[in-house]
Amino acid sequence: MAKETPLKARTHNFSVFYGQKQALFDISIDVHDRRVTAFIGPSGCGKSTFLRSINRMNDLIDGTRFEGRMEVDGIDVYGKDVDVVTLRRNIGMVFQKSIPFPKSIYENITYGLTLVEKRSKSDLDAVVENSLRRAALWEEVKDRLHHSALGLSGGQQQRLCIARAIAVEPEILLMDEPCSALDPISTGKVEELITELKDTYTIVLVTHNMQQAARVSDYTGFFLMGKLIEFDRTRTIFTSPSKKETEDYITGRFG
Amino acid sequence: MNRPFEEDLDKLRTRLIRMGSLVEEQVEFALRAIREGNIELARIVAERDDKVDKLDLKIDKQCQRIFALNQPVASDLRLLLAAIKINNELERIGDVAAEVAGLVLRMPDIVPLANDIGIERITDPVYAMIKSSLDAFINNDPETARHILPTDSTIDSLYDELQDELTHRMCQDPQAVPAGAKLVIALHDIERLGDHATNIAENVIFLVQAKLVRHRSASDLSDLSDSSDASNASDQP
Repeated sequence: MAKETPLKARTHNFSVFYGQKQALFDISIDVHDRRVTAFIGPSGCGKSTFLRSINRMNDLIDGTRFEGRMEVDGIDVYGKDVDVVTLRRNIGMVFQKSIPFPKSIYENITYGLTLVEKRSKSDLDAVVENSLRRAALWEEVKDRLHHSALGLSGGQQQRLCIARAIAVEPEILLMDEPCSALDPISTGKVEELITELKDTYTIVLVTHNMQQAARVSDYTGFFLMGKLIEFDRTRTIFTSPSKKETEDYITGRFG
Repeated sequence: MNRPFEEDLDKLRTRLIRMGSLVEEQVEFALRAIREGNIELARIVAERDDKVDKLDLKIDKQCQRIFALNQPVASDLRLLLAAIKINNELERIGDVAAEVAGLVLRMPDIVPLANDIGIERITDPVYAMIKSSLDAFINNDPETARHILPTDSTIDSLYDELQDELTHRMCQDPQAVPAGAKLVIALHDIERLGDHATNIAENVIFLVQAKLVRHRSASDLSDLSDSSDASNASDQP
């Protein structure tokens, strides 16, 4: 069993409103450091809204309003003096559809770094190699680093996006259905990667694939209609959930 | 929910209940055979053991198929795990019944000796344990299952008493030794039936309450009442 680690993030009675519509209701969750926390639930249940709230991606949607508290390392994410750019640098994100920049593999990794500060060529080379190795992609692309990233397969593009996200050395990695567009072999590689990356990063994962949540996560939260129905260790959720709604959902008896 | 999966689980339960009914009757007939000297019942038990074995294999294969095709979780997962174990216990109970029946067929002299030592003192509660454990499974009833667990130590004490009684008889009457030696085996078999019934009861508690209660002493079972929290972390599988 995975050991309990300190908290990396936590929310207390956190609610999100899109205009008049309330999307999340009083969510209180503890996210443990260097563990994988997965959120499952049917479409529209609020799991992605919650994920995007962690690095304030929802700020970009007009009319969005928040209540309650969201903390990362004890700091209020929605505090007035928080620099959102720094926050998002510290909390990387990988999306459902891999969207590499229309640039070379090398430039995909270095783009974010060069925006922030000037780095030497040798420094950038090292970051590229290190990020691609951590994303289990180095061996496959080391001979074509300066070719277009768009020539990679779907699975490779997704791992490139993971490499790009970790190149800036975030502490938290948010993944919004990172495997939903991938074939089973690529999915297996990304899942293996998630398990390896959790030694270094705190990973929060949204997935429609319950077996994926069961395979890779340490903690699982079940969302339904904007409410967090149950949050517990993954092995408890998938062997003996305490709420009937969770049991119905994971056994397919939902609805 | 996926209908074929639900139908598969229903079929599994039904088949397991059928296996349970068959095995319960095997035990009833075997125990009556040793008490009443009913050779006909002993013969039926011996002949039907093959049917028990075939059902055991069918249930095993059915569980394998459901696992492979459906990746069950939560209560479905516990049903499958419990089904595999309960099926195994039932098959072994069937074997024990067949062995007792075989002893009666091969050595009918054990019948009067068994009655002399009062074998019904152990056969009656053992049969009641098996019946209750199967009722607990059929009705998803952890309370009934919980009440079975302490009975096993009573059976163990009765077994020791009857062994002593039998040894005493054999010492007094050396001519009783050939039948007595076989009766020792039969008594041990009957005592084992109590263990199998206990194992079934433990699996019913796991199935319904998600608690692992194997290897616990009787005094350590106080947290198993219906009101206790099924999500007690220390008991999680």
